[in-house]
Order: sequence, then structure tokens, then C-alpha cells
Amino acid sequence: MTIREALLRARRRPRHLGAGSPTIYRGDGYEFVELRAYVAGDDVRRIDWAATARSGELQTRVVLEDVALTLAAVLDESPSMRVGRRRPLLDAGREALQAWFGAATGEDRCIRVTAQGVTPPALQRSAHGALGWTPRGDRFDVARALRTARAALPRGTALLAVGDWYELDDSLDRELAELGARFDCTALVVRDPWYDGLPLGGFVRLRGAEGGYTRAYVGPRERAAFREAVRRRERGLVRRFELANWRTGVLREENGAESLAAAFGLARA
Amino acid sequence: MIVDHPLRLAFGLLGVVIFALLYDRLARRVTARDLAYSSVPFFLEAAKPRGWIPRALQTLWIVALGALVLGISGPHLTMLVPVRDGSVFICIDTSGSMSSTDVFPTRAQAAKSAARAFIDESPQGTRIGIISFAGSASVIAPLNSDHQAVIGALDAIPLPNGATAIGDALKLSAQMLPATGHRVVILITDGVNNTGNDPVEIAQWLGAHHVPVYTVGIGTPNGGLIPGTNEQATIDEDALRSYAEASGGAYARAENATQLHDALARLGRITSLTRKPVDASLGFAVGGALGMLLAFLAGFSLGRYP
Repeated sequence: MTIREALLRARRRPRHLGAGSPTIYRGDGYEFVELRAYVAGDDVRRIDWAATARSGELQTRVVLEDVALTLAAVLDESPSMRVGRRRPLLDAGREALQAWFGAATGEDRCIRVTAQGVTPPALQRSAHGALGWTPRGDRFDVARALRTARAALPRGTALLAVGDWYELDDSLDRELAELGARFDCTALVVRDPWYDGLPLGGFVRLRGAEGGYTRAYVGPRERAAFREAVRRRERGLVRRFELANWRTGVLREENGAESLAAAFGLARA
Repeated sequence: MIVDHPLRLAFGLLGVVIFALLYDRLARRVTARDLAYSSVPFFLEAAKPRGWIPRALQTLWIVALGALVLGISGPHLTMLVPVRDGSVFICIDTSGSMSSTDVFPTRAQAAKSAARAFIDESPQGTRIGIISFAGSASVIAPLNSDHQAVIGALDAIPLPNGATAIGDALKLSAQMLPATGHRVVILITDGVNNTGNDPVEIAQWLGAHHVPVYTVGIGTPNGGLIPGTNEQATIDEDALRSYAEASGGAYARAENATQLHDALARLGRITSLTRKPVDASLGFAVGGALGMLLAFLAGFSLGRYP
């Protein structure tokens, strides 16, 4: 199964009726997926009478609506994403975006969302166009980017948001919930480069990617406290997105595409 | 504190200030070798690193360098130093009132025992003499740096009898003490002067010549009967205090043999000390060098060198 199929299967509105329910869209262009026992609420037009006769119980044909998807993505490109253990976290984020837009086929549209706006319509027809588009003077602002997404994207859009979410304060929880209700949202939370422990000991001079500087002594006590705090933060972020009805995953520095696939349960990251 | 080379100190302190500023600037400079992290505020909140350790190391460097600079500037500190060639006269009262038994076994016996403790506590080289006094004063042992000989002379102190001539004893000690050097008079008595010179006048004279008189009053507040008489042996504390104050010494009271022993032992230690300017160059220089070595080793062993 591909990310696109996973998106089609789990489209948010039908999913409220139970995963794998028949789509409610009319018209041609449906792709058969499976047969399963009829459940109350299934469209009677989808009952497979031949299969019902063979099994003796009502059987429903589950199909996927072959519709054009709108794939949108918000990527945190702030300086805090430009650090990492072996390479910038942003590289992994871009890989995830490539995989995301790479899932687009046919008439699907690919839209980058930033604080300044969205990919112009002329560039939305290809992953290449969306990936190559960056508005001038773009400065990442998570709140503005999410508001732009809510205002500019059509209902039902599959929205991917990738970031370390340092800017995500509590006031944005309501925005996340509204986005979760409106779109098929997926959040990738960047795993801290030092998730497995600080590679430091003794005197440390630390430079903040977004400013700030400190020099301090880091011993075993500090390393243990940091490790616990990083894990707690990641768990907390994942929990916040899940509460807002977002699909969640963890973006690992090693491989952004695999991290995205893992968020859909398609591969082990 | 005074320094022999104020110019060295001035330039040295200027160097310390420049060093402190440079250290701070180097510690704060941002380099490509610094570890880059997404969010410093999160790191500080998460790890709660001990920022005081680098600051303590910085302070140690600066203080150590300051001490080194001070060391080469020839500092002299006024300190209490032991006197090796001091002179002390112990004046022991042998008047009739000293036979009172309110201090066990008698005031006179307790005074002898305490004088022995004083001699034991005095540093080698201190010359000690003994004067006993009743109706008049006499030298039992002249100034002698052989402490065992002086202790042996304590046995020659006559039995208590007669009046109390404190002023005569002080005058005799003033005559017997050398004209210069560290000089002290210890007066062990019950303080009721009743014949001879005025002790206050002699004490003032001694004070004017930098000879403090340390007085030790012996006897209980209620006193005791003098054996073989109906007379009550008392203690004149006010008088003893005035002798001490007049000479720049101090007064101590002993109601029993133990207190007397302790008071004399303490005097043995403090009367052998004198305030003198001491060359502290070596101490400061060694302290500064050790501080710098400690700072270097600490910085090296605790991890990355700042």
C-alpha cells in the first residue's frame, strides 16, 4: 500500500463511520478494495449479491473513490531545523516532503503552505513545482502558516506538517483541532538530535540555532535530566496532535521518507 | 597591609583586569566549534546545567592571578606571630591570705600549679622569671629560657605569710625585665594590696613602656578564712582589673584550681604572641600558583577547556 492509498482509505469524513467504509461519493471511478460483512449504514448499492448468495450473509463491496487528492504540506524551515547530529534536520524534513508530494498521481494537486501564502495554482500540478516554490522573504511562523492553511486549502485536503514545534504554544491547540476537523492532517514531530543522550560532558559551549548562547558544566545529572525532558517533550507533542485528531509520526534525522511512511504504518522507521 | 613595590602591584592589577576581561570575552565568543542546538532555552530548562562551575573556575583563575601579582609586590601583613625571645615575669602572691582554702588545696598551691601550666605552654626560647611577694618582693628565679629550671624554682616559693605588696612586685619585675623586646608580667594574687608602692602607678609606668600586666584574681566570691586566724581572705577584683587596664593587659578570674590552670595556660599561649609585620610574598605567590594549577587541573579534568 502506498501513502496515497492510505490517504484514500482513511479519508477523514468516511472514517467517522469506521475505517474501510464505502465512500459516499457518487459516479464512476471507484477501485475495488475488499469484500466484507455488511454493517448498518453501508450503502445498499454496494452490496455484492453474488458474494452474499455464496456466503449466505450480506457482503459489502468496499471501494476507494478514485478522486483527485489535494496534498498540502507545511515544513518548518526555521533556523532550529538547520541543526542535527549528522546533518540538518531540515534535510530529513525535505525528504519527507518529497515523499509526500511524490505520492501524488494524475490530477492530484500539490500545495506548499507557508506563512506568506500557498503554492500558486500553476505550480500545483506537480510535486516538483510545489517543492521548488518558496515565497520571497519567507520566515517561518507556525501560527501564521497554520492559519494560512485553514484559510486557503479546500476541505478534505491531506495536510502534512513537519517541524520541531518549538513555536507551538498552548494557544495553538484550538487551531490544531480546527485543522484536524477540516482536513486529513498528519504531523511529523522532529526527533531531537540528542534524543538518545547528550554527546557532551564537562564544559559545554552551546550556541542556539535561533539565537542565545550558554556555557555550562554538563555532568551525568544534567545528561539524565535532558534525556528525560526530550522524551517527555516528544510524547507531549505527539499527544497534543493526537488529541486534535491528527495522524502523528516522528521525523528521524536519518530518513525523512521512512519516517513519513512509518506515520502511515507502512514501514518501520 | 603594606607592599614594598606599589608600582608592580598597580601594573599587576591592571594585568589582572585585562586578563579578566579577555577571559570573559573568550568565554563568550561564538565559534564554529561551539555545539549548535535547536533551542538554548529548552536545553537550559531540560538539563538545568550547572552554570556556576564555569563561573567558579573563572573566579579561581582571576583570584589566583591576583594573589600571584600580590606575591611579587612584596606584601607585608600585620600578624600575631610567636615570640621566641620574649621575657615574662610571673609574680606570685605569698601573703597570708593565699593560705585560704576556698581554692583547693590552697590559693598558694593552686597558683604554683597554674604557674607550672603557664611555663609548659610557653614556647621554647621565652625567658621566664619568678617573683614572689608578701610584705616585700623577691626574685625566686631570674629570667631563664630553661623552663625546667624555672619549674624547679617554683618549689622555692615561701609559704604564705604576711602582707601584700603588689606594687613592690610590679616594680621589681620592671627593674628585672630587659629594656627592649617583648615583655610581659603575669600577676597571680587575691588583689588586696596593703603595703609598699602603689600598684596602679607602677602598672601605668609598665604600660607606658609597652609591658602589659596580665592579672589573675584567685579566690571565690565569698572568700575563705585564713587558717589560724579569724580573718576573711577576700579578693579585690576592681583593683586587679585596674592594674591590667592601666598597663594594656587583661584580667582573668579563677574561682578554682582548674579555672586558674586554664587561665594561665591560655596566657602562656597569648603572651608569647606579638603583632608584627610579616613578609607574605611567599604565601601569596605560592597560593596564587597553587590556585592557577588547581584551576588548570579542574578545567582540564572537568571536560572541555573553556
